[in-house]
Amino acid sequence: MQLCIFFLRLFPVIDEKGIVQYVKLTTFAAIDIGAYEIALKIFELSSRNGIREIDFVRQSIELGVDTYGSGSLSFDTVRKLCRTLREFKSIMDGYQVEAYRACAKSALRETSNLLFILEQIRDRTGLEVEVLSNSEHRFLSYKSVAYQENDFVKIIEKPTAIVDVGEGSVQISLFDKECLVTTQNIRIGSMRIRELLSAFEDRAPNLGKLIEELVAGEFSAFRRLHLKDRETKNLILIGNFLPNMLRTASDEDTGYIARERLDSCFAKWREKSPEELVEIFSLPAENAMLILQSMILYQRIIQEMNPDNIWAPALFVCDGLAYDFAERAKVIKKSHNFENDILAAVKTIAKRYQCNKNHYQMVGQLAIQIFDGVRKVHGMDKRHRLLLQLAVMLHSCGYYISFLNSSECAYNIVMSTEVIGLSHMEREIVANTVRYNTEDFPSYEYFADRLEKEQYLIIAKLASILRLADALDSSHRQKCFAMKTAFRDGDTLALTLSSAEDMTLELGMAQSRKRFFEDVFGISVLLKYKKVVREK
Amino acid sequence: MKTEEQLNFNDPKYYRNRELSWLDFNAHVLYEARDKSLPLFERLKFLSITASNLDEFFMIRVASLKDMVHAGYTKKDIAGLSPQEQLDRISVKTHEMIKLQYNTYNRSLVPLLSTNGLHVLASHEEMTDEQKEFADQYFQDFVYPVLTPMAVDSSRPFPLIRNKTLNICALLEKGKETDMATVQVPGVLPRIVTLSQDDNGTTVILLEELIKRNIQQLFMNYRVVSAYAYRIMRNADLTIEEDEAADLLKEIQKQLKKRQWGEVIRLEVDENMDKRLLKWLRRELHVREEDIYKIAGPLDLTVLMKMYGLEGFEHLKTPPFQPAPVPEMIEEGDIFSKIRKGDILLHHPYQTFDPVVDFVRESARDPQVLAIKQTLYRVSGNSPIIKALAEAAENGKQVSVLVELKARFDEENNIVWAKMLEKAGCHVIYGLVGLKTHSKITLVVRREEEGIRRYVHLGTGNYNDSTAKLYTDMGLLTCAQAIGEDATAVFNMLSGYSEPPSWKKLHLAPLWLRDTLVRLIRREAENARNKKPAHIIAKMNSLCDREIIAELYAASAAGVKIELIVRGICCLKTGIPGVSENITVRSIVGQFLEHSRIFYFENASAPKLFMGSADWMPRNLDKRVEIMFPVEDPKLKEEVIHILNVQLADTVKAHILSSDGVYERQDLRGKQRFISQEYFMQEAWQKVKPEDNPVKSRVFVPEMGVDDM
Repeated sequence: MQLCIFFLRLFPVIDEKGIVQYVKLTTFAAIDIGAYEIALKIFELSSRNGIREIDFVRQSIELGVDTYGSGSLSFDTVRKLCRTLREFKSIMDGYQVEAYRACAKSALRETSNLLFILEQIRDRTGLEVEVLSNSEHRFLSYKSVAYQENDFVKIIEKPTAIVDVGEGSVQISLFDKECLVTTQNIRIGSMRIRELLSAFEDRAPNLGKLIEELVAGEFSAFRRLHLKDRETKNLILIGNFLPNMLRTASDEDTGYIARERLDSCFAKWREKSPEELVEIFSLPAENAMLILQSMILYQRIIQEMNPDNIWAPALFVCDGLAYDFAERAKVIKKSHNFENDILAAVKTIAKRYQCNKNHYQMVGQLAIQIFDGVRKVHGMDKRHRLLLQLAVMLHSCGYYISFLNSSECAYNIVMSTEVIGLSHMEREIVANTVRYNTEDFPSYEYFADRLEKEQYLIIAKLASILRLADALDSSHRQKCFAMKTAFRDGDTLALTLSSAEDMTLELGMAQSRKRFFEDVFGISVLLKYKKVVREK
Repeated sequence: MKTEEQLNFNDPKYYRNRELSWLDFNAHVLYEARDKSLPLFERLKFLSITASNLDEFFMIRVASLKDMVHAGYTKKDIAGLSPQEQLDRISVKTHEMIKLQYNTYNRSLVPLLSTNGLHVLASHEEMTDEQKEFADQYFQDFVYPVLTPMAVDSSRPFPLIRNKTLNICALLEKGKETDMATVQVPGVLPRIVTLSQDDNGTTVILLEELIKRNIQQLFMNYRVVSAYAYRIMRNADLTIEEDEAADLLKEIQKQLKKRQWGEVIRLEVDENMDKRLLKWLRRELHVREEDIYKIAGPLDLTVLMKMYGLEGFEHLKTPPFQPAPVPEMIEEGDIFSKIRKGDILLHHPYQTFDPVVDFVRESARDPQVLAIKQTLYRVSGNSPIIKALAEAAENGKQVSVLVELKARFDEENNIVWAKMLEKAGCHVIYGLVGLKTHSKITLVVRREEEGIRRYVHLGTGNYNDSTAKLYTDMGLLTCAQAIGEDATAVFNMLSGYSEPPSWKKLHLAPLWLRDTLVRLIRREAENARNKKPAHIIAKMNSLCDREIIAELYAASAAGVKIELIVRGICCLKTGIPGVSENITVRSIVGQFLEHSRIFYFENASAPKLFMGSADWMPRNLDKRVEIMFPVEDPKLKEEVIHILNVQLADTVKAHILSSDGVYERQDLRGKQRFISQEYFMQEAWQKVKPEDNPVKSRVFVPEMGVDDM
């Protein structure tokens, strides 16, 4: 995504001390193309007042019915979609919006005619719609949760799970000691259930029972793998209609509710018809179609997770988009370190595939030093540094499957493991970096169908650093206890390794593997060894 | 407590029929026409208003009841009356009313006009020779060329007589044969003809008398035996009144063929009309006996409005009131900075409507304004607001206007300027399917240095600068964030988008307002039961919603003091033991048309105050987009409460609904004469500081030097 720093307006204010401060301000629009409605939010982002919602417009269009039913969007639906987006565009123009993001999720992602649709939208509305991968989408939800609640940090001190129920699927994320460690996607969203069951609904006397069985089945594997010995104290439940349900169930409008209270309400509501339910929750009548499926799904999830407390914030992907933008444009400060979440999650994955922790910590330290050592010329940013760390942690996970094809296995493991907060492309970068740590690096033509040249180069750079660093701990014995880097004359990187032990193997390996680094960066690597006696 | 529960507040015996109640209201207006303390010409005006009111009542309400009768629809109304029963009672009551109208006209107004130098000749025979000469010349020059006499015989069928036109029918003789003929009194000519003006005063006559005098010229081959005026009203309204149930609509569609299009529902005739002519008209027009009104005087008294307009009688009229400026608006600076200082309350017509027009106009020109959104219901012909909106669109602002095409009688007018707005680049929404948009709201979005700020005007009356001089209405200008957000949501909903997750300050019909009102009334009842202070004051134009009235009865029974200020229809009955003993209803009819809707709820000494566009009628609460908004600024709250109290203190123009269902004027013994509208007129000017009001102040204040500041 392009960062629109240029669009920030500045205006002076005089603070209490009489000093002129410049407040950053911008108007941002977020469009969320969901399975049953298209939403537009206009935000004002300012360094003084944070994020302020200015306008919120929703139009219900059931893309999900087409996608989950027939696999592609009908002509009529696309036309409706374009018309709505065109109207949204004119609302955005009305506010003189300075930047926007328009995102689509699974309902569009899973259509077979996706590219045609995106082109039609571009053509008719001038809007560029991004299609979010599941993890990107969930990360946005997660981000808006983290920003919305001041006590978020406190909540996650206790064992917490975030369950994000969408129309297409359910995302379950588990926290361990303030960090997000696992996240899994189960494909049983409210709308998907409706479409799945619509075929034999009329033969099933008890729709509720049917949904429960379906959900329990899908959940069983997850329970075995991830929930075994876990207890969940707090459940953050994100989903449609939930804020209304909680508002109805509790007297206060905080979004919090105790487990027993909600359970008893659910029991009461299960006896009502969908029409009665929308009435009870004061929702528009068109929501009657989904209300029952959603409710049973929530009830089931709560039983599976078994929390004491439930928090159901009113959340929209649009909010996440705004937080994300505001954070990147440096209008607001982060409330929670999302990078630590990513590191913690990857650490859990590395553990599952029995990666050698001492080894990857060593390699990580060296790799980061090399990365920082050539920072003046490498043209990469903090995010790439994080990706390098992730690649280091996972670089040997392929051995878990096979010693022969470890690099390819590693690639596949990374590509099939969801890490919340990583975009699809970032995952691709990490997976390829891991793969070409050992495999020969192919020419761009090999990737041309998947990657832009820019990303190809990033992979090359990261892989070359990883190769060098990995070589420096070839023996897996962490012989080197300090390394000094010096970047000289713009074309030479000197690495001085201090060790009490003999490092012939490492230096030899590095000597043969530094070639790739030299090719990629145009920097020659000088390896020096300094024998030191380690003080005890 | 028990008795309270046992009572069925929905029992029809606790309700008044809305049509009969409306007729009572018209009687109240007629009372004003008979009020000797009023300037003579004002009395003419009130009499004219009763006549035009009655016309509208027939065209809309009576027509609708007739439809029901024809469709065989027998569902009883709120008071338990079938359509036919209602028609019967209406007929009796309107006959009485018309009698009183003409009594007033003939016995008091005409003689008084004469003493004041305006001689209205009742018939052409009363003219002097000079006047006759003038009249005949006038007839030849102007009237004769535009007349189309139509004789009726076996070869020429009865012609189509147009709705609401004045006609003259004549009995003709040719040898031994008699024939009938009819001629329309041309609408293109002024109905009042000035015959002479001299020291004795002005003498006028009505056009139909001139035609009657010269009618022989129209039927040269016949001898005209006699000629009389008549007027008909047809059931030509194709739309079904929205108040009626949907099942009625179906019923009528089924019966469509049976419906007699353009059926005559009222025939007014000169009381002296020849029996043969009357019989003939009755037969040809298919009128029932009870729908014939024999009139002792000129037909169609709306002509009195024209008489009011005659020049030279200014001393017999109430001098026109000059609306006072709004104090908050006088200071230097743009309107936005004034609103930012605090919410501004507007009380029309005592205070000028200019701030509302300026609000739109300044927004159109202000470079920081991004968008203007407004709902328009009835707009004046040459509206400055429309001009400003068009200008705004031309200046590149995003302008959205919801134009309500279903506004009664205004449809054509609305379409013309709606097209004009569209041409200028405004986004025009032509109403919502199945709903009338009655709310009055304007939203201005402005991009200021510190970010987007929204300015909102909410009102109880239409954005019409002409009626704002005649109707009493309230308005609120605010930039409160919560109201701005709700206003944005209102326009999103009106544009067809989904409703917002929640409302912060505004209460909208048709979805939420009814529930809110019920909740507010119930809370008062609950407070009364718990011996907390409980009090409702509600001012509106009409009250006829069964659910709301039942809630009011329940609240009254629980001990809530309820003071209602209802100008027009009121289906609630006062003074029913155990049901409505704590309810009083007063109707204010005065120089200005009472139009504002204000609602006060005691809320255990933490009063809640609302204003809005909705009456408590089923159509307002269920079939219209209406907004009720809170007044929260403590100072403004005080002011609005003060306004309510002043109206409750009115001893002259407020008539009290008695337990017998009639509006009674108040017994002034031991009381001061106090007229709320006069008080407001004075107060509005007193609020303006003397230096801003050069008219009232004779002391000139020199500009202060800079040093003195």
